[in-house]
Amino acid sequence: MSDTANSPLAPEALRLPHKVVPMRSTRNEQAVPPNGETAGAAGSAADNVISRVGQLTRTLHESLRELGYDKRLGQAASEITDAQDRLSYVAMLTQQAAERALNAIEIAKPNQDELASRATHLAGRWRQVWDDHGKAQAGSQFADLVTQTRDYLGDVPTRTNATNAQLMEIMMAQEFQDLTGQVIKKITTMVQTLEHELVQLLMDNVPSERKPEADTGLINGPVVNAQARSDIVTSQNQVDDVLASLGF
Amino acid sequence: MTDKKLKFLVVDDFATMRRIIRNLLKELGFNDVDEAEDGVIALQKLRGGSFDFVVSDWNMPNMDGLTLLQNIRADETLKGIPVLMVTAEAKKENIVAAAQAGASGYVVKPFTAGTLDEKLNKIFEKMKSNAAA
Repeated sequence: MSDTANSPLAPEALRLPHKVVPMRSTRNEQAVPPNGETAGAAGSAADNVISRVGQLTRTLHESLRELGYDKRLGQAASEITDAQDRLSYVAMLTQQAAERALNAIEIAKPNQDELASRATHLAGRWRQVWDDHGKAQAGSQFADLVTQTRDYLGDVPTRTNATNAQLMEIMMAQEFQDLTGQVIKKITTMVQTLEHELVQLLMDNVPSERKPEADTGLINGPVVNAQARSDIVTSQNQVDDVLASLGF
Repeated sequence: MTDKKLKFLVVDDFATMRRIIRNLLKELGFNDVDEAEDGVIALQKLRGGSFDFVVSDWNMPNMDGLTLLQNIRADETLKGIPVLMVTAEAKKENIVAAAQAGASGYVVKPFTAGTLDEKLNKIFEKMKSNAAA
C-alpha cells in the first residue's frame, strides 16, 4: 500500500514530516528507510507496526497537501470552534427559556392558591349570612344572585386546582433542559477532542504564514459569541448608529 | 400519613432540575427543602444539618451521585438516610450499581410528578415499617 501511495509524490514524499506527533517522529526516522523495509534485522513486530503507522501518516500528510485538503481541514477546524459556540448558545438560550417558564410558574401558583382560599372563605361567609337571613329573601332577584355567586365561589377552587395542574405540567416540561443540557455537554467534549486532533494534524502540515480567511457570508444565523467579535452589533442602538453613519 | 416536616436535600448540577424537584416536593407538602449542586457540597450539608431524605442526580462534577451515596452509606451518622436517585443514566448496570451501593429508589429522567410521588411513598412506607420493626 505504501509503495503505490508514495510513488506519485516522490521524491518529496520521501522527506519525513518535520512535526509529526513528536513522540513518534524520532522513532519513525530511524525505523522507516526510503525503501520501506523495517529498520534493523532485529526489529520487533511492535517496531514494524510503528514504522507502518509512520509511513501511513506521512503518506496521509502528503496526500492531503497534494489534494488541497489541508485548506479544507483548516476550514473544518475553524468551523468546529464555531460549532462549539453555537452549541453553547443553544444551551444558554434553552436554560434561559426554562428559567423564565419556572419563574412565571412560581409567581402564578401562589396567585391561584390565594384566589382559591379567598373564594372558599367568602363562600363560607355567604353560607352563614344566607342561613341566618336568606329565608326572608326566598324567590327574589337578590336570592337568585346570591345562589349564582355562591355557586361561582364554590367552583373557584376546582378551577384554580385545574390551572395548578396545568402549571405543574408546564413545569415538568422544563425537564428537557437538564436532558438536552447533558447531551450538549457531551457533544461539546467530543467536539473539543476532535478539534484538538484536527489542529494537531494541521500544525503538522500547514505553512505557518497562512492567514485565516474572513467570514464573508451574510447568512450566519444569530451571533453566539458577541464578546470575541468586533464586526457585529449587540444592541438596537448600535444598529441605529450604523444606519445613521450611512445617512439613514 | 407521612410527616410533612421531613427535611430534604436535592442534589443536581442543573438548577432547573433542582427547582423542578423542589416544586414537586412542595406540591406534595414538603416545604423544608435545601439544594446542593454536587456530591461534595451535598456531603458538607448533610454532615452539617439534620436531613431526613436525599434526592440525588448521578452525573455531576466534583463528586457524582453514586460516590455520594457510597459516602452516605459509609458514614455512621448518615447511613440511615434514604437516598432516591433521579438520573438520566438509564443503563441496567447503573441501576444495579446504585442498588448495590444502597440506593432507596431509582427514577429515570425524564420522569413525571406521579412517578416521583409513587417512589417517595414507597420509601416512606419502608421507613415506617423499619421504624416499627
